[in-house]
Amino acid sequence: MFTDFLYVCRDKGLKISMTEWITFMDALDRGLAKSSLEGMYNLGRMILVKTESDYDKFDIAFMEYFKNIHAEEQLPADILKFLDKGEMDTSKLNKDIYSFDRQVDMNETKRMFRERVTEQKEEHNGGNYWIGTSGGSAFGHDGRNPGGLRVSGQTGMRSAFQVMGERKYADFRHDKTLDIRQFQVAFRKLRQFSARLDVAKTELDLDKTIDSTCNNGGYLQLEFDKPRKNSVKLLLLFDCGGTMMPFAEMCNDLFQAVHKANHFKDVKTYYFHNCIYSKVYKDAECEYGNWIDLDDLFRHTDKDYKVIIVGDAQMAPEELFDINGNYRGPNDGRSGYEWNKMFREKYKKAVWLNPRFHGKLNSLAWMESERTLGEIYDMYPLTVDGLKEAITKLMAPR
Amino acid sequence: MSDMKFTGSKQYVASPELMAAVDVARTLEKPLLIKGEPGTGKTMLAEAISQAFGMKLFIWNIKSTTKAQDGLYVYDTIQRLYDSQFGEEGVDDIARYIKLGKLGEAFKSEEQVILLIDEIDKADIEFPNDLLWELDKMEFYIHETKETVRAKTRPIVIITSNAEKELPDAFLRRCIFHYISFPEKEEMEEIVNVHFEHMDENLLKHAMDTFYWIRSIKEVRKKPSTSELIDWLNALMVGGMEPETLREKLPYLGVLIKKDEDIETVKKRRI
Repeated sequence: MFTDFLYVCRDKGLKISMTEWITFMDALDRGLAKSSLEGMYNLGRMILVKTESDYDKFDIAFMEYFKNIHAEEQLPADILKFLDKGEMDTSKLNKDIYSFDRQVDMNETKRMFRERVTEQKEEHNGGNYWIGTSGGSAFGHDGRNPGGLRVSGQTGMRSAFQVMGERKYADFRHDKTLDIRQFQVAFRKLRQFSARLDVAKTELDLDKTIDSTCNNGGYLQLEFDKPRKNSVKLLLLFDCGGTMMPFAEMCNDLFQAVHKANHFKDVKTYYFHNCIYSKVYKDAECEYGNWIDLDDLFRHTDKDYKVIIVGDAQMAPEELFDINGNYRGPNDGRSGYEWNKMFREKYKKAVWLNPRFHGKLNSLAWMESERTLGEIYDMYPLTVDGLKEAITKLMAPR
Repeated sequence: MSDMKFTGSKQYVASPELMAAVDVARTLEKPLLIKGEPGTGKTMLAEAISQAFGMKLFIWNIKSTTKAQDGLYVYDTIQRLYDSQFGEEGVDDIARYIKLGKLGEAFKSEEQVILLIDEIDKADIEFPNDLLWELDKMEFYIHETKETVRAKTRPIVIITSNAEKELPDAFLRRCIFHYISFPEKEEMEEIVNVHFEHMDENLLKHAMDTFYWIRSIKEVRKKPSTSELIDWLNALMVGGMEPETLREKLPYLGVLIKKDEDIETVKKRRI
């Protein structure tokens, strides 16, 4: 049953496993969906979806698969009224009419339903044709037609679709630009434990101590190991140019997330205006003179620093290629392009996060700067997925 | 047993979806994984279920150093070593040095119990994977005593997560998942009413307006949650403030907002 729904879900990017699908089928078998669309929606979501960022995908899949039921909801008021009478005692009914083996075609059922609504003039309970309660007809409630349409009764049709229609989980989607918590979670991945590195053995290794002590005939012999500490050093560079104004808050979130993460060995933050030239600024105001030389920065930080540059890479070609392109400070004899090249050669691990990322579209003429910088650095969009990819790139051994 | 249904408790207001999730998890005998903003009552849920069903609650608090083994049992080798060196009695009885963890205790219990694994994301990234077998089969093996601890009745397992780390897929596949979204105003009023018996309606209305107004300010980094609202209402009741001036004066703001820069932001916006 509903196997197509599985594939609709997978189409929408929900990675549903066999285990989960079978669990869902089992739950339906046990009647946990309460024979209502809303129940089905809730049940499906709690079993098949395992993160709130996928709720939206599920909403869309569910809406697509079940949307046609929605349309049949409008019934003449008098039919609804008698259907509303309450549930009947099903134990009184003859058991053998439960055996239905014919395949029910959804479209056929719906077509018949439409006809029936126009034909029907009175109450029907227990029959096999009309819309009514406790019957074998395909329409009504408390009936026994497995392929039928539930009409009224304890239905959740409407509210389920209302919830989905609101798509209130759209904000949780991963491909949406992110907030501070999601940044933080992403930064957790940026770890490299020093156990693999060359540091002094300063931490007591209890297991080895016990082994050695036992081998030593019960006399205590202490064993030490290298401490597990994150050895990642991070260098952050933010673009504070005018075109970055709309993203100021997001950059701030990223900044906060890095500083809250506090599992890095060292974090250095500098700022630049549009493009990196011979100097980087010490704070976001980018005031004339409040800077350090890039050469100084190169001396203070070793090549192991992992670099994250945040900027929209949007500037006029001369700002990037002209050796007098820096209109806010000195160029010191090199164009922005050359400075960036030098920068990239110094730091082996450097990525660029771009809130205005155009990706493949950047072949357009006016995106020359993004294209060029994208060739120097690995460039990713400033989203959860983009940051994750960037961090994977930073952590890759080569 | 199957006629038992979770409908919230005196101290806990649960949404219909959450109640359904509890029932499904119980019927299908799968762990229920609860995620949500801090302060939406994830931990309290287990207490509420335990009260509603009248079952004993075992809480296993997870820390960054917690290992899966800690929840099963710990073999106190050091104690045994000491005892042997000082010639204590019973050293040859290994069982004496096996201490059951929370999971072990829950399995050993005679009746059905609730097991809360709180903040599972605090532990190492592989931690949930180490518990797959135990949570699936509800049993584990103590190597030292060659004993298998098997749950007589499957405990109802509630797991909470703050999403600090992503949980492994294999683990997620086995869980029923529910995300507690932040309560809407009406739901919040219900929650507040559960906590306060005699709440001045006028005060509540103004306090709620102010609360949701603060939450709506985009620049506020750490949005106040339910527990902060409850604390604030407490403070307001004790302090006896004029309800109409709440929005203007913002008394006891420190109870509601914990960050200096957020307090500044809110104060700047208040008129």
